Amino acid sequence: MRLSWLFGSSMEAHHLLAAYVAVWLIQGGYAGWIAWQWVCAGKELQPDLSLNSSDDDDL
Amino acid sequence: MKRSHIYRTVGMVWFVLTVAAIVYATRLALVVAPTEATMGNVQRIFYYHVPTSMLSLLFPYVNFVASLFYLGWRRRDPLRAMAADAVAISAAEVTVVFSSLSLLTGMLWGRAAWGIWWTWDARLTSMLLLWLLYVSYLMLRKLSSTGQTQTLAAVLSVFAAVDVPIVFMSIRWWRTQHPAPVFFGGPDTGIDPSMRPAFGWNVLGWAMWGVFLLVFRYALERRRQEREQEAALKSIEGTLEIAQ
Repeated sequence: MRLSWLFGSSMEAHHLLAAYVAVWLIQGGYAGWIAWQWVCAGKELQPDLSLNSSDDDDL
Repeated sequence: MKRSHIYRTVGMVWFVLTVAAIVYATRLALVVAPTEATMGNVQRIFYYHVPTSMLSLLFPYVNFVASLFYLGWRRRDPLRAMAADAVAISAAEVTVVFSSLSLLTGMLWGRAAWGIWWTWDARLTSMLLLWLLYVSYLMLRKLSSTGQTQTLAAVLSVFAAVDVPIVFMSIRWWRTQHPAPVFFGGPDTGIDPSMRPAFGWNVLGWAMWGVFLLVFRYALERRRQEREQEAALKSIEGTLEIAQ
């Protein structure tokens, strides 16, 4: 089945395409933001670990 | 096998199945489902708009129940209360995402079908109010600097949940610009059987996606809470060492 009508010049086609693209972009963007924060929250542990090791060296 | 590895594997499998379900559901909606007689192809927004709207009325209850547990546990069992709070903030964010998309897809559909982007009818206004309430909840969480932020947010979420049945019932209580209920609206309501697979798969796919977002966001919040606890403990240890 062809989807050429989806990329037509009518307002209906534009709005249908915009609705589907908006859903994918916003949902994907939010999931991407969580993934980014997840990685950042994991990295935040690194300085703490290095701080611990330097403390141990001092001891 | 470590528990974290099991969670990660389950999460990856769930994610792959969810994306596959959404891709399949989108194909059904755009290619397989018949063109609606009155509105034409723009009616296909229905397959994204309605599942998104349904889920935006479901996640507030996750936030509501988690907030009640937080309020109940905050003095007796602070560790469990923190977990409930993590569920609450995750559900609030997912609610904002789904309700934003419900409003956006509704406006795109409304402009094409009715000729207007917006009207202050009962369904649209109560949905906008729901969105504002959960945005307020997140703003409170982000900007408040008192030690009672979680408690204030939990109380706000109890009031915000009251709007959910009003949104649901608005098209039953009042005659509005928004169409009458398609489901659970009486004997003459429902969709054509040929449209059901596309609709059903979209509900399933987006519900799976919502659960994925909720669990992933919850895991992130728990990780943040652990970091904050570690930092607080280190601070206390440092203070004790200085005192000695």
